[in-house]
Amino acid sequence: MKKAGLRGYIIKRLIYAAIITWGVVTITFVLLRVGPMSPADKYLSNMSARTQDPAQVVAAIEARYGLDKPIYEQYFDYVVNLARGDWGWSFSNSLPVVTLIRRHWVYSFQLILLSMLFSATLGILIGVFSAVKRYTRTDYLATLFSFIGISIPNFWLGIMLILIFSVQLGWFKSYYDTGLPMFSLANLKALVLPVITLGTGMMAGYTRYARSATLDNLKQDFVRTARAKGLPERVVIGKHVLRNAILPIITIIMFDLSGIVFGGAYLTEIIFGIPGLGRVSFNALFASDYPVVVTITLIGAMVVLLTNLATDIVYTRLDPRIRYD
Amino acid sequence: MKGLVILLLMTLVFTAGCGNETPAPSQQPAEAGGIFIEGVSGGDAETLNWILASDGSSLSYASYTIGSLATYDNDWNVVLRHLAKPVEASGDGLTYTITIRDDLKWSDGTRVTAEDYVYTLKNLMFSDWLNYPYQTDWQEMVDGETIFVEVEAVDQTTFVITRQTVDPEFADNAIYNLTPYPKHIAVKYEGDVKAFTQAEEFNNLSYTGNLGPYRFKEWIRNDKYVVERNPDYYLGQEDDSPYFEQYVTKMLGTTATVHAALEAGDITYSGIDPEKVAKFTELEGINVYTVPTSAYDLVIYNMRNNGWDGLKQKEVRQALSMSIDKQAVINSIRLGFGDPAFSFIPKPSPWYTEEGVPKFGYGPLHDKKKAKEMLYAAGYGARQPDGSIAVQDKDGKPLKLTLVTTPGSRLAEDLAFLVKQELADIGIEVEVKLVPWPTLLRKHVMNKVPGSDQEPRNNNGPEAVSEEPWDFIVMVFNTHPIAPSGSRVFFSTEGGLNFWGYSNPRVDELFVNIRSKEALDIEARKSMYAELSQLIAEDQPVDFLSFPRGNHGFQANVEGIDVGMRLSWNYHKWYFSKP
Repeated sequence: MKKAGLRGYIIKRLIYAAIITWGVVTITFVLLRVGPMSPADKYLSNMSARTQDPAQVVAAIEARYGLDKPIYEQYFDYVVNLARGDWGWSFSNSLPVVTLIRRHWVYSFQLILLSMLFSATLGILIGVFSAVKRYTRTDYLATLFSFIGISIPNFWLGIMLILIFSVQLGWFKSYYDTGLPMFSLANLKALVLPVITLGTGMMAGYTRYARSATLDNLKQDFVRTARAKGLPERVVIGKHVLRNAILPIITIIMFDLSGIVFGGAYLTEIIFGIPGLGRVSFNALFASDYPVVVTITLIGAMVVLLTNLATDIVYTRLDPRIRYD
Repeated sequence: MKGLVILLLMTLVFTAGCGNETPAPSQQPAEAGGIFIEGVSGGDAETLNWILASDGSSLSYASYTIGSLATYDNDWNVVLRHLAKPVEASGDGLTYTITIRDDLKWSDGTRVTAEDYVYTLKNLMFSDWLNYPYQTDWQEMVDGETIFVEVEAVDQTTFVITRQTVDPEFADNAIYNLTPYPKHIAVKYEGDVKAFTQAEEFNNLSYTGNLGPYRFKEWIRNDKYVVERNPDYYLGQEDDSPYFEQYVTKMLGTTATVHAALEAGDITYSGIDPEKVAKFTELEGINVYTVPTSAYDLVIYNMRNNGWDGLKQKEVRQALSMSIDKQAVINSIRLGFGDPAFSFIPKPSPWYTEEGVPKFGYGPLHDKKKAKEMLYAAGYGARQPDGSIAVQDKDGKPLKLTLVTTPGSRLAEDLAFLVKQELADIGIEVEVKLVPWPTLLRKHVMNKVPGSDQEPRNNNGPEAVSEEPWDFIVMVFNTHPIAPSGSRVFFSTEGGLNFWGYSNPRVDELFVNIRSKEALDIEARKSMYAELSQLIAEDQPVDFLSFPRGNHGFQANVEGIDVGMRLSWNYHKWYFSKP
């Protein structure tokens, strides 16, 4: 029953996901194509091109990129091609969109993955420790640290880290080097400053959530019972408190993950010269490069849908009281 | 016209100058090598298929691997590149004979011939299916009709361009920039814009053979563009150039990170913002070169029917320009790195003159009291009991005008607020509106006659107006120092970019004359430019503010730089003293 329930639940959620994905593609496509900006803008902006007849310039550029057809026809072509795996041609990068995404997703992925690991691990540990040491100097220090971490804008933090650790101390290169082998210590080292930049704010947030959730659980009867049974404190905290406290934090981490995919990593990518999807999508947006924008929005939507699904499944594993229905 | 963009490109990317007169070392490096990394904070290029490009970065990227017919040195002498000998212009100025080198080759080993150039011009640049953005460079007006020049191959290395009208600056504006496509490859895609746009050979520059100092290696979008030394480079056969193993353009999102990377020694070169020049000058490992540029910033006055009426009067425009302190622009905004501008011709140009050119907003002609008196005399003021003048509109109401510029550029915003402050001092309130570029373009620049079915254009005649009213726009323009007649698009009545509605028949006549047989005589052309500078400065259709200087920081081990306005003209000869 349980396995069948899980399978049915996943299938149902995937069907919803497909409908939502189609909706996202349609809305993004329509918004971009009916908006005031056009890929021809950059030609009109050009001093020389502007001496030509703007209408003629626009018509020629639109014909070049197949934008001269009626919008419903463009939409139909786009969706059919998308379903076939042809994600279109990027006007602003002169590449097939699929090639563009294939080349760039990994830079965002490694940054986001390492930042999540860094922030979640440290944030939860500090938060739990802070709760256990409630109202001590350690707790006050952790609280102060988390407030600072939440308040610091990451573009400022990134530049400060570069000035201190790259310019003054010379420990790290001031920008990310895409020439480094992906699975190497050198690459890991190159990601240290970007990961701290992106992860600090999140870590501070997780510290606060973890502290609060731990404090709530420390007051529960089952903790008192565990202690009364004479269990060592590390077992009480590690096995009983942490397991219950971590549930809301997982939700927040998953929520953050989708936020980062949609653009939270953009500033960090800009500061450290990382050519990830954040940078690609923002540049495409300003160039009215709709095949890229729609595709990245689609990927973002799928990440959100799948992480939500994963969160729900993880919930049921961690808390047997939760049912699929 | 492409010249304007090429100049902008030169200003922004390689840039130019002649501030610190460092003699160019003529010796070759004992050992070539090393990776030169140029840090940039702007956006990435759009395509390597250069004929489709509308942005400076794309043209710059392609130029490393595929040069042009000629370039200029710091003294604006023509330096031959793909040309075997100087372009021969006939005595009547109508025929240009172009002879290319006989050692130019495509990557597949076939020879680059005159036919490739002719094909590129006739079948690609002049075609209506590709919409090459700089077609106007190759067009002339004959009997009221715009036609393309005629091009014909004579033999393998020679082709002839024939015009029906004289343009003494045709070579500077068009011919020297010409770059070929390989006919035998391009012909496969002819007429199919989609196939041409996506052609792998053109997007990977895999055809460029020995035409440039470097060969395409790698382009990671929004990250870096890498070219590697081309051992077959035609000029390198004589001096073994270029001397870097690789030339990398690294995109770093902000100027702060570019500056940090230069200071940390992670990049070799970058432009430097004025406020950082003092700091970098003090650093031992960095050489800073300050050079003039051909760009200028300006305040445009709307003389069309949806601008303030006063702006149609020359005396009013002069009074406004008289109130805006050019030295303050240079000191406060350019931080000393600029020269006052009085006309569209930059100081290093051989056509520059100050003789008879009024210097509004500078020296004795920066006079707010006199400006108020001029406005009063024009009917825009009231004498107060204490004898002072209150500037006001003709109906006695306070003057409230609108200045439009784009957000995101600190320079444009600073200029806008300085103008606001200066005009506030004479009693004119200025509302600064920051609007995104596409909006500014569509709602303030493009215009049409109200009620007509005209397509909006940048200049739809004297009765046309933009969708939104405005009084001032702050912008940056550029002038080709050798061929400033391209600025006719801004200042002649029918100029394609004269969106502010300026008209002076004598100015129109001079721009026509500058492109006539009479102007083949250098002295005659000089006097035409002098009169143009004088007339436009007198009319003040725009307030020319300043010609900025560019600052460039190099790691101290880069040798071979010929510091001047055309800083990069010999970049294939730069090298590291300790690779």
